[in-house]
Amino acid sequence: MFNGFLRKLLRTQETTSKDLAKKRLQFALIYDKLEVSDDTLTALHRDIVEVISRYFEFDQNALKLDITRCEDLSALVVNTPILSAKRRNRTLKHACTP
Amino acid sequence: MESKVIVVTSGKGGVGKTTATASIGAALALEGKRVAVVDMDIGLRNLDVVMGLENRIVFNIVDAVNGKCKIQQAAIKDRRVENLFLIPASQSDNKDALSPESVRRFSAELRKEFDFVFMDCPAGIERGFENSVAAADEAVVICTPEVSSVRDADRVIGLLYARSVTPKLVVNRIVPEMVERGDMLSHQDVVDVLSIELIGLVPMDDQVVVSTNKGVPLVMQKGSKAGEAFHRIAMRLNGRADLPIEIPQGQKSFWKKIGLKIGVGK
Repeated sequence: MFNGFLRKLLRTQETTSKDLAKKRLQFALIYDKLEVSDDTLTALHRDIVEVISRYFEFDQNALKLDITRCEDLSALVVNTPILSAKRRNRTLKHACTP
Repeated sequence: MESKVIVVTSGKGGVGKTTATASIGAALALEGKRVAVVDMDIGLRNLDVVMGLENRIVFNIVDAVNGKCKIQQAAIKDRRVENLFLIPASQSDNKDALSPESVRRFSAELRKEFDFVFMDCPAGIERGFENSVAAADEAVVICTPEVSSVRDADRVIGLLYARSVTPKLVVNRIVPEMVERGDMLSHQDVVDVLSIELIGLVPMDDQVVVSTNKGVPLVMQKGSKAGEAFHRIAMRLNGRADLPIEIPQGQKSFWKKIGLKIGVGK
């Protein structure tokens, strides 16, 4: 019992192997269902950055792309801090397109 | 009573489908139901040895489906458990010997003879799976608390829903001590991930190997915790949905017991 108690004390910070298993499983299932490869995600990230940068001034490295699942629904969540809006006129728009 | 066809499946192999089929079938037969357990693993039959009926096979399911024999000839009667019958798989054919359509026709015949028909599904999601689920009203999905098994179970559950078969979950081979330590997914974790109805929790039990060695139904093995768990699952399938699901408990040490008594620890 004391061994168990000590272990429990030490384990409070450390995640247990089953927590790791659960997390890995949940991600595996999400990716299985969406059949989204890492390459696709990177490409999507690049495209989203490109589109947003036409309209907004923002930190490209801070853009976060997440696929979350609750119940039976999956959602693609794009989160990005925006520094300022770009003035939308044609010249600017064209200037920003690579 | 209207008869039920239930498929026992898992996706992954070696998680206990055959043991579960034999045990649940035997438990229901002991309750007085007429039960047929059907080995759908054509080419790799095993339900016969698990049940200890391997020496009595004359005809098999392929013969019965193709009309080479009657159902009564293919169904082997278990001499220890009244009302329990095994329809063995063929060992020499392959999975293409049956088709979902032929299994559906055959199951309609089985429904006339039995209260419960259990289809022991082969591993995988190919032809053997299609054949096994073709006529099923319900499915029992067997899953062990391991990532590979849970992942495959999730895939199978998706396929079952696509065929309008309602799946119910059995978490098999739970080691309570490991769950307590946080080294094994708990049944709650598995349910969280798979989000289907739970119908039973089965602890890891040495008696499973012992009873398989002897070819004796697990539910007849006295003091087998897994046997008791399968018995309760059978009861729930038989309409006793109110029966509480027992969570497997580990052997508590002396100090832990004292701790529990005085309200310290969990």
